[in-house]
Amino acid sequence: MNPLLAQFLAEANDLLAQVDEGLLQLERVPGDPELVNEVFRAAHTFKGSSGLFDFPELTRLTHAAEDLLDQVRSGRLALDSGMTDDLLAAFDLIRGWLAHVTTHERLPASAGTDAAGLITRLRAPLGGEAVTAVATTATSTATIDVAPEWLAWLDAEWLTETAGWLATTSSTMRFVRYFPDSDCFFRAEDPLHLVRQVPALERLGVVQPRVWPGPDDYDEYVCLLSFILATRASLGELEYLFRYVPDQVQIVELDSDAITRHLSGEPPLQVEAAVTAAVMPMIDSDLAADARALLHAAQSSLAVDDVVAGDTRLRSVVHAVASAARALGVPVNLTGADRATLLAEIDRLLGAAAPAPAGVAEDLSTAVAAPVPAAAVADAPGRADDPGGQVGTRVLKVDQEKVDRLMELVGELNVAKNGLTFLADAAEEEFGSRVLSRRIKDQYAGMHRIAEELQAAVMDVRMLPLSVAFGRFPRLVRDLSRRLGKTIELVTEGEDTMADKDVIEALGDPLVHLVRNSLDHGIEPSDERIAAGKPPAARLTLAAVADGDAVIVEVSDDGRGVDPERVKRKAYEKGLISEEELETLSESDAVNLVFRAGFSTADQVSDLSGRGVGMDAVRASVEKLGGSVTMRSKLGQGTFTRLRLPLSMAVTQVMVVSVAGQRFGIPVDLVVETVRVPAGEMGRVLHQDVVMMRGEVVPVIDLARALDMPWAPTPGEDRRILVVSVNSQRIGLLVEQFHREVDVILKPMEGLLAYADEFSGTALLGDGLVLLVLNMKEVLGLAARVA
Amino acid sequence: MPLELHEETANLVGVVTVDEVEQLTGWLRTARRPKVSLRRCNHLHTGALQALLLFKPKISSAPNDAFLATQVLPLLTGSSGPANKQGSDPP
Repeated sequence: MNPLLAQFLAEANDLLAQVDEGLLQLERVPGDPELVNEVFRAAHTFKGSSGLFDFPELTRLTHAAEDLLDQVRSGRLALDSGMTDDLLAAFDLIRGWLAHVTTHERLPASAGTDAAGLITRLRAPLGGEAVTAVATTATSTATIDVAPEWLAWLDAEWLTETAGWLATTSSTMRFVRYFPDSDCFFRAEDPLHLVRQVPALERLGVVQPRVWPGPDDYDEYVCLLSFILATRASLGELEYLFRYVPDQVQIVELDSDAITRHLSGEPPLQVEAAVTAAVMPMIDSDLAADARALLHAAQSSLAVDDVVAGDTRLRSVVHAVASAARALGVPVNLTGADRATLLAEIDRLLGAAAPAPAGVAEDLSTAVAAPVPAAAVADAPGRADDPGGQVGTRVLKVDQEKVDRLMELVGELNVAKNGLTFLADAAEEEFGSRVLSRRIKDQYAGMHRIAEELQAAVMDVRMLPLSVAFGRFPRLVRDLSRRLGKTIELVTEGEDTMADKDVIEALGDPLVHLVRNSLDHGIEPSDERIAAGKPPAARLTLAAVADGDAVIVEVSDDGRGVDPERVKRKAYEKGLISEEELETLSESDAVNLVFRAGFSTADQVSDLSGRGVGMDAVRASVEKLGGSVTMRSKLGQGTFTRLRLPLSMAVTQVMVVSVAGQRFGIPVDLVVETVRVPAGEMGRVLHQDVVMMRGEVVPVIDLARALDMPWAPTPGEDRRILVVSVNSQRIGLLVEQFHREVDVILKPMEGLLAYADEFSGTALLGDGLVLLVLNMKEVLGLAARVA
Repeated sequence: MPLELHEETANLVGVVTVDEVEQLTGWLRTARRPKVSLRRCNHLHTGALQALLLFKPKISSAPNDAFLATQVLPLLTGSSGPANKQGSDPP
């Protein structure tokens, strides 16, 4: 499976759980703005991520849910239990879909029909204005019964002739309206290619847009055409041909009467009278056959058994009938139905659905003459929301504390293991058994290997390179930039910076929001860029760097930047800042107003962003991690967002040095070089020891003095100097001895030592020693004070 | 190459895929009196058809391909029946 999809599925699971929990809590505490916001944010993120994949139904459904939640969030609508039910049903349906996606990597065939009803219901409280054309098609298929109006696209003369021929031969013809999605080219669909594969194509009408865009505005990747075609191919052939785009086609079967009626403009006949005008909703024919079989089975099972209301048996039959109805695209509400109404309903459904191929129905009704086990009936094949499915690969979620504990235990194991070497020595010296000593040492070697591997494994559990967080962006940027018609070059730096799994995971959402914001609002279209004297291709940079006890992730673009005045004005209009602040806020503070809840400068809510949820969500999730986010921007030159995230359990590579017998660690990132300088070459400038290196004067700080430790270099011996770069300044540290570099797990200073700013943390070395890791900035400050 | 683009004439050869759409559209945008030969064209991507419909270049030779000749060519040469008129969207 595509790793992006796998990641989406894993995240989706969390988001779904979040939405469910939020909605349930909302029922208990209606109108809690923080809860509404949380659910909304989850839905928003869901919609955003789903856009990466070819799941149009999923995006549409989440969009509908999001719109409803947006209204609730803004207070224009009060959430009632009906809406909550619909929302929960929507997310349950999605869960079912994702289970299907996990195994088949595509949505179930019934997704369009399943979603349509829900979308209509979700949109109903909003006035239902935004019901998409597709939803109408899908829900109204059961009632389209006559020549549709789009038949007018075919020329009348030909239609008259055809009607005559059909009347003479008393046969029918299929008419298809194929309305490709405007973004279908991106899904490698070629509508014309599909059309030319239609067998026995009689007539093709190409519907062109009423108004073509001007040659300059014309986007060659937006499909503007739709097709009307008449064919003698059978319904089955057409269904098969258009099986991947069922929501974009409408197929009707017409006889001469229907066509004549259409031509003369007469009102269409009622459904019962139009004998041959059968209309099939475009549903998976297998699915429809299954549904019909199910209905027959239910019917016979009801006929054979005397079931009573409330019986579990009856309930499972009700369940089965409902899912069959859903599969046929005519959802019914059967809650509490008794046997008689159920039978009537089954009759109606069997009548409404297009007649099953006679053989199939016959076979099945004989096959299921005996009462069908209730369980078999309930497990309707093809049911989209099969609860047995599993979303995403099985990922074990373990409490962070448990992994921390494991890490501690590994550390202790290392210490205990090292005790064996002493035991070996004792065996030889005290008990005089060299053989025993050797055997203990052998044992030690084995344990050492295992302990090392164990430590590596536990670290591996927690550590991930940032490339995991960055991995989804090339695709996201590509897709969005094409959709927006902008040319964007994505640059990533420092992908191999390792960070704690928690940090990486939590970075996902904020980064998506930031990148999307940059693409949508920050980066200008190419022509605007050229006019501003910039290269036409914009540059979006994602960079990560470890900074002592933090990971810094920067998202920067060279777009139009943020206009501090406009931000201030917007914030004032939205009531986020007072009039005084409007006057006094500095430009850099104004830019950071975008992180306030409810802020959005975009006047248009787009598919990408602009609901004012993005930056607010970024801030919320970064602060949850204990990090901070700041934005700098130069109007017209670009925006630069910096996320600083703590490194609670990240691996740090440190250089170990010792002073006065005590070992200290210094982050390797800061180390420039280690040198030994003859004592005579040390100079002194204004009370400051210095050393000349390659024509550069480097100040040298006596680490022992700075840390107040009793040690002085042996006179006449070479000085060992560790050159570090802090704030892009080179500084030498006088130390007693250099040791090796080690990977350590840095733990923040706690308890009594928490005040000690000169240490960024402690680490347990393999031999049981506790290593203090220096925070160089503070140490330099300390040295300055001591001097 | 499915596209043979010259200053004012273009030959579409074989199957014109979505990858060629951008280049074709660009050419149609700039060419002053574009003439397009479809003789050796076997299939046009919808995007290419759409571009031809929008920019209405002169079709200098008809396609050999039966589907293109019977169903698509009439749209491009303007000798289309009422079915292909430009007008209001269908209801």
